Order: sequence, then structure tokens, then C-alpha cells
Amino acid sequence: MIKKIPTRIFVFFLFLVMVGNFMQAQQRFPKPEFETGYVQPSPTTPEPRSIALEYFDVAVLLAVLSLASWLAIRKRSRRGLLWISIFSLVYFGFYRDGCICSIGAIQNVALSIFDPTYAISITALLFFLLPLLFALFFGRTFCAAACPLGAIQDLLVIHPISLPSWIRKTLGFIPVIYLGLAVLLAATGSDFIICRYDPFVGIFRMDGPFLMIFLGITFLLLGMFYARPYCRVFCPYGVLLSWMSKFSKWHMTITPSACIKCKLCKDSCPFDTIEKPVEQEYRIPEVSRKNLRRFILYIGLIPLLTLLGGWIGSRSHIYLSRVHPDVYLAELIITNPELKEDEANLDIQAFLEAGKSFEQLVEEAVVIRSKFKKGGWALGGFIGLVLGITLMNQVVFRRREDYEPHKGDCFSCGRCMDYCPVERPLRGK
Amino acid sequence: MNQETKIKLTYRVAVVSGIFCGVVALLLLLNFWHMKQHEPLESATIKALVSRLAEEPNNDELKQEIRSFDLLARKAYFTSRWQIKTGTYLLLFGGILLAISLKIYTDLRARIGQPEEITEELLKARANAQYWLLLTGGLVLGLALTAAYLSNDFLKEYQQMAVNEVPAEVSSDVEVIEVFPSEQQASKTDPVQETEPSTPLTTEGQPGTQEAVSIEQSVSESAQPVSESAQPVSASIVYGIEDFKKNHSTFRGYLGQGVSFHKNIPVQWNGTSGENIKWKVAFSRPGYNSPVIWGDKLFISGGDSQARVVACYNRHTGQLLWESEVKDIPGSPASPPRVTDDTGLAAPTMSVDGHRVYAIFATGDIIAFDLEGKKVWGRNLGVPNNHYGHSSSLLVWENRVVVQYDTNTKGRMLALSTVTGETLWDVDRSVHISWASPTLIELDGKMQVVTSSDPYVSGYDLETGAELWKVEAMMGEVAPSIAFDDGVVFATNEYARLIAVKPEPGAGFIWEDDEYLAEVASPVAYKGLLYIATSYGVLVCYDAKTGEKYWEKEFNEGFYSSPMIADGNLYIIDMGGITHILKADKTGTIIGEPELGEGGFALPAFADGVIYLRGTEHLYCIGE
Repeated sequence: MIKKIPTRIFVFFLFLVMVGNFMQAQQRFPKPEFETGYVQPSPTTPEPRSIALEYFDVAVLLAVLSLASWLAIRKRSRRGLLWISIFSLVYFGFYRDGCICSIGAIQNVALSIFDPTYAISITALLFFLLPLLFALFFGRTFCAAACPLGAIQDLLVIHPISLPSWIRKTLGFIPVIYLGLAVLLAATGSDFIICRYDPFVGIFRMDGPFLMIFLGITFLLLGMFYARPYCRVFCPYGVLLSWMSKFSKWHMTITPSACIKCKLCKDSCPFDTIEKPVEQEYRIPEVSRKNLRRFILYIGLIPLLTLLGGWIGSRSHIYLSRVHPDVYLAELIITNPELKEDEANLDIQAFLEAGKSFEQLVEEAVVIRSKFKKGGWALGGFIGLVLGITLMNQVVFRRREDYEPHKGDCFSCGRCMDYCPVERPLRGK
Repeated sequence: MNQETKIKLTYRVAVVSGIFCGVVALLLLLNFWHMKQHEPLESATIKALVSRLAEEPNNDELKQEIRSFDLLARKAYFTSRWQIKTGTYLLLFGGILLAISLKIYTDLRARIGQPEEITEELLKARANAQYWLLLTGGLVLGLALTAAYLSNDFLKEYQQMAVNEVPAEVSSDVEVIEVFPSEQQASKTDPVQETEPSTPLTTEGQPGTQEAVSIEQSVSESAQPVSESAQPVSASIVYGIEDFKKNHSTFRGYLGQGVSFHKNIPVQWNGTSGENIKWKVAFSRPGYNSPVIWGDKLFISGGDSQARVVACYNRHTGQLLWESEVKDIPGSPASPPRVTDDTGLAAPTMSVDGHRVYAIFATGDIIAFDLEGKKVWGRNLGVPNNHYGHSSSLLVWENRVVVQYDTNTKGRMLALSTVTGETLWDVDRSVHISWASPTLIELDGKMQVVTSSDPYVSGYDLETGAELWKVEAMMGEVAPSIAFDDGVVFATNEYARLIAVKPEPGAGFIWEDDEYLAEVASPVAYKGLLYIATSYGVLVCYDAKTGEKYWEKEFNEGFYSSPMIADGNLYIIDMGGITHILKADKTGTIIGEPELGEGGFALPAFADGVIYLRGTEHLYCIGE
């Protein structure tokens, strides 16, 4: 009982931090009515930086990724990775206010592809590409040491629990949906939901909407027992990193030499990404035949699921498109025409004062909705395709002799290296 | 320090930092609660003092007291903010200490234990994963599909509704409510059969001279591709400038500039009691357009979803001479477009030139009747993409009907032949939708059509439609037309600005102002003074040359109707139906505020000794 007191105190503290932030949000000084054209700065977007400093950020990211890859693969230093991640948390998190980040850069890239009028900055593009490139060669060293969102969760892992693999696989489907939605909404110019619902940016900035702070605190609390919940259940960039990392040429290994199958590393990983050896009995003829039948079934299901998903996605374009402010506003005025007279409705008043006609708004909303119809096909098809491939992978058994990290899911944090009894004597421990 | 001591130390640090965080958080909560209970910025004392100040505006002692209280409240507010901020940082510091100590504590206590037996059987786990993946995928897709079928496409419904609205049965009955006093009892009659234009005010003029502005020409049928029922008209009577000055023939009178040349205009009446009301009639269809006059005849138009009509009255008696329905126009929509109630289908004021009367509606139908009510020609300019409804009035001059047709689709201005309706010129304008009306100005002996839109105030050659000049000045939904006086154009719009500009290429603003801006009412300029009427009931007079404000007067009701100058006075009717009559000079002395007894949005039409007003229900003839 006494042993649990610190944990409880910590939970209480986090709750109070949440309350404290909520109070700050409530106590904001009333916004003055400026008549001089002064534009109230947005509290959720940091000040723009000079180009030189933006390039400096890219250089820092490159350095962090290089160092992290070296520490994970060559140096095999968990401590080194930990300190680099603390640096990233301070620099990319608290100093750079969590922006720009590679996770949010997905949206900039998506928008730049589908909106010819939007020019993506070279910084955003590099922030998007560099971690993927490193993942392709060295695994997810970005998650290990360069991502401030990962770092803040990683530092608060207190007592991680292990979940059955079917729950992990099912939860692992959520980031795919989130990624698809984020790309669709960014590509249609509707919203940058990754940034809007970034749970930790409010903590980095010591300010933010109540929902943001609430989500951040919730994830941190949850992360004490279910390690890095955002990374594992929501992070859309993690999906891309995982795909890249699966093909990584030099991924970190648990042991520097031969695995003695002591199973210690399995307990060391708070993320359940270490896979045990696949034994011969899974290759017995009966099992293999059953798996083969399922494999063929799932292969056949992939195009069907893709088409079905695409069709359902396209049918969903009406409500999906309501995320776009113009569609939302047009439908709001159509369904509640009396709101035009409501001076308290700032959305409508801003629209009326902008001088744009309602018919114009409706026409634009119709065009946006048609984009969502096409985008719905892509989103649904993507979800169906990933579902089909994930199912197919469940009946594929690859021979594995040793305990190995799952190349796609492993964050390359290096905890397992410290636990490895083969490693310890080599380091003189 | 041994392991046990380290564990104890980190444990104690964790407990102390936890308690510290708890205390700070508690203080923060107390502070928050206190602030909620006594919000300094919402101090009841200050509110009470401020309301007292309204009664005693010159009480300096009270002002000082308010300032002291306000300062105190602000100090309390910012002190509280400081406390919250400091407390949050303390909480953060304590939290970090707690996290570090807890982390070290748990790490020190961690021991490499016996590895647990891995009990999860791989095949079973994979089978479970497939099951749950299929279930989750199915659930997601199923929910998406259900939501899709439950979602209404309001945009599509809205667009279909706008297209498919079917008009009800057409009715053209007109009821004359009352006419008093009358020489001839008003009754519904057949159209008056007249062979000559009803124009006692006709003056002579010669074709080709400057005085001759309305010239009838012989037209052969083959030359009229767009004239549906145009009849060849022989050159007959020519009307000159004096005729147009004597007849209130268009929106805002002569040239559309808002200045009348008529005298002895009444300044006192009462629509309810009948004081100085010569007659009043109810019109058949609603419309916000203003009456226009030629000779003995007065014209208004009206329209609803059932029909659009043009009505002609004997202006002396109020007798309805004829009322003709606007129909059989090629390209006319089966049902009228969706318009707002405050604009309607018949907002544009007609124009009359002594031979024909011209009307345009929100359907895009433009039509010409002769003065006996017989349709001469009609065409549809394309249903205007206008979310309120088309409201730009027509302007007729020199055989041209000028149409400002700025819609959401594109900006456009046309001149049609008064005789046949054929297009004489049609220019695209790089402007947004507008509701203002064209105004004529004369410069160097040539007539220009001047328009105000977002973003340009521009001048066009009446003859060719060539753009002569433009100035970027407006923004938003532009409804006020321009004013003109002494070679200077004045334009305004709410959320934009009020400007004075020379109508010439590259001209900058002579002056500009943004204190009082009109939303709907057009400004009027007269004898070096400029008058602006706002929709929130303020009437302002500026020096037209310098922009210096001479006076401002605030009234209870706002103005949608525009000010007009007649007989040296300014007339403007507010939305409540009160006509404010002021001296059109630097004093702005109020001469009278007669009531109509019903709301008023249209402009008055003037003739010698009388004023015609269209209320929301009735048309009035007022004269002493």
C-alpha cells in the first residue's frame, strides 16, 4: 500500500496540472475590441522563424537522427538514446513549441500535392522525409530519440503492462484510419487535425485549449501503464515509419552476438515489440494447409475490401465534408437561416462581412463536397487495403530462430540492449 | 550511498515533492474559486457607478471614484493572473521533481526477475487477431455506411429547391382599397386606350442637337433579333432634357442623381389621419421599387412567386389605368429564383422615357411596355445568381436602357435598345456582385454611366460601353449608388469607406472617411454638400469638397431608402415610414417629420406640388 503512494501522488499531481491549465484557459483576459486593424495573434501557432533558423532546425534534426542511429546500431547505448531524447524534448518540444514536427508535416505534404496554390516549405518537406529515410536504413530511430511527443511519453513510463497481441493488432488499425483521415482533410484544405488534436503541444507551450491539455494529461497518465499510447494507438506518422522500418537495412538488434533465448529482453520492452522465435510446429502440414487456404482467401479479399472500403468512403463524403468550414457554414445557414441575424454567431457574421455571397458559398461547398467524394474513395480504399494486408499477414509465419524486435513496431529505444545478458559482459558489467 | 539509502531518499523526495504539488495545486484551486466568486472585472460596484454616471455625466468626483475602483479591479485581476502563472510554474517544477524521483525510485527497486513463461499461443493469438481485425474493420465500415445513409445532403436539396420551385396559379386581380378625395372615383378599368403618348410636359427638340436625348428611330423587323414583339415605331416625338427634368422618370429622378427640380413640395402630411393625402391605393403585388412618372402617369412594378406585373396609375386620381403581367419571355425561368424577403422579386425601380416604360425583375426578365400597357419587347438576361435578389435599377437615356448586372457569376453591364431590346453593348466587369444602380453624369458634354461595385467605382461611355476610368475603393456587398456634384463622384459602402474622387483615369481620392457609411441608401450631393444616410438611422452632412462634417442627426429608425433633394429640402423616409424633411444646407434644420403610417423603403417621386410615396402596403399621393 505504502509503495503505491508515490504513484498515486503523481496521478494526483497530473490531475491538478490539468485543472491548473483549465483555470488558465478560463481566466484569459477579455479580448479587447481593437479598431485599428490589429490582428489578434493566434495562441496555438508559434511565431514564424527566420529561414536561417528553420534550416538550423533541419540541421538539428539531421544531427539527432544521425546520432540516434549511431547510438542505437553501432554504440548500442540506451543511455545515449535517453539523453538525446531529452534533448529533443527540450529543443523540438519546449523550445520549438512542438512545431514544426514530422508528424504534422504529413498534412503539409498532402496539401501541397493536392492544392497547386499551396507551396510547401523545404523545411516541412525535409522534416517529413528525413525520418522516413532514416527509418528505411536504420529503423525508427526518430521515435527513439528525435520525436518530442515520443520522448515525453517515454520518460513517464512507470509500470508498463503487456497487452495480448490481438488487442495490439486491433489497436494498431486506428493509426491507419487516422492517417487516412488526416491526409484527406489536409488534401481538401479542410483542417490539419493532427495539429489540432496534438495532445502534447499544449504542454510544450504551457498554453492551449482545454481539450488539448486534457488529451495531453490523459495520454501521460495512460502512458504510465500503457507505454507511449499516442505512438502506438494514434500516431499517423508511425504508420509510415513502420512501413519504412520493415525494410530497414540496419535495424538495431537485441543482442550483439548469438541469442541465448533467455527471454529477459521480452520483459524489458514496454511496447511489446519483441517477437519470440517461431517454432517448427507451426510448419506442420495441417497447420500450413489451413494457413494457405486462409492466405488465398485474404489475397482474394484484398481487392474486394479495397473496393468495398472505397465505395463506403465515397458514400461517406457528405458527413466527412462537413469538417470543411465552408461546407459546415453553408449547411448551417441552409438549415438555420435565422442564424444570419444572430450577431453572436461569429462564423456567420464573419462570412457576411467578408462580402462573399451565399450562392457563391454554396457553390464552393458543392465543389469541396465533390472533392470529398473522390477523396472518400481513396480513404475507404486505403483502409480496406490495409485491413486486407494486415489480415493476410496474420497467416504468414516467418521462420525465426531468436528473440527479435518487430522491425515495424520497434521504436529502437534500446531498453532491451541493456537487459541482454550477452551484452552486459561485453560492456564489462 | 548504498542502494537502500538511495531508495529511501528518492522515496522521500517523491513524497515531499508530491505534497508540495498538492499544496500548490490546492492554492491554485482556491485562487480559481475565489476569482469565480468575485470576478474583479465584473464588479457590481463599478457597474452601479457607471450607470450613475450616465445620469450625472458631469460629476467629476464620480468619474474619479470609478477610475479608482477600476484600477483596483485591474490590480486584483492581474495579481490573480500572476499567482496562477507562478503557481503553474511551481507545479511544473514540483511535477518534474516528482517524475524524476519516482523514475529513479522505480528503477532502483527494479530487479531482474525470473522470466515469465510465455503463455500466449501464437496460432491462437493470430486467429484472435484476425477475428478482431475483421470485426473492427467491419464495424468501422458499417458505422461509416450507416452514417452515410443518415446524412442529408442539404447543399443538393438547397440547389434543387431553388430550381424546382413551381409557381402557383397566376392571379392578376388588383384591389383598390380606397381613394380620397377624387375627382373620378377610382375603379378597376380596362387599360386606357390612347394613341399618343400621354405627355403634357413635352417640349420641342431637334434630332441631333444636344437637347435631344431620346430619339425614336424607324426600325425594321429584320434588324431586331432579340425583339420578340417589337413593333416598328416611327420617329415621332422627341423628348429633351427639360422633359426629363420635369418627369421623375427613373430611380432617384433626373439622371439618377437624387435631385428633383420640382417646387412646392409638401412638408406635412399624415398617412393615418389622411391629412394632405390626395389619394392612396393598395397595389396588387409587393415590391421595393420606387414610383416613376411621365406626364399624368405613374408606374410601379410588383412581383411575387405567382406573377410579376407593371402597373400604371393616373397620378392625379390614383386610378389604375392598366396593369400588365410580365410573361411570355423566352428564357424566363419556370419559377422565380430564391430571394430574400427584404429584397423581393421587384426591387429595381423602372425607368420611363415618354414612349415606353422599362422594368426588370429578379428573374432576369427585362421588359418594355408602351405607355398604354402593351408589351413592346421582352427578354431574359439570364437568371441572376444573386443571393438576395437583383435590385439594380434601370437607367434610360438616348435610346439606351442601361442595366448594371453584377451577379455572383460575373460582373456585367449592358445597354439595350429602348426600341427593340437588342443589345447595343455588353461589357464584362472585373467586379463582384453588387446591388447598386447606375448613375449618369455629364462631363465635357458627354454622358457617362458611373457604377459602384466591389472593388471598383467606374465610369463607362454611354455610347460604346468603353470603360473610361475606375478607382479601387469599395468592398463588401455594395448597394449604395454614387452621388455626383460639381465634377466629383462620391461613393460609399458599409465596411468600406466614403470617398470623393474625380471621374478620370488614375485619379486618387480627393478625400475619404470611414466614420459613417451607408449600407443601402445612396448618398446625394447638392450645392457643395454631401448627405449620407446609414441603416442605423444616422443622417450626416459633409462638405463635398473637403469632407468636413457639418452635422449628424440620429433618428430612431434606420434608412434603406435614399435621400432626395427637392425644393431646397432633403427628403428621406425611414424604415418606420417617417419622412424626415430637413433644410439641405449646413444647418440641417428639421422642417417636418410627417408619418406615413406604414413602413417605407422606396424613394419618393416628385411632381410640382405633390410627392408620391410607396409604403409597404399602399401608394400615396401627397399634396396640400
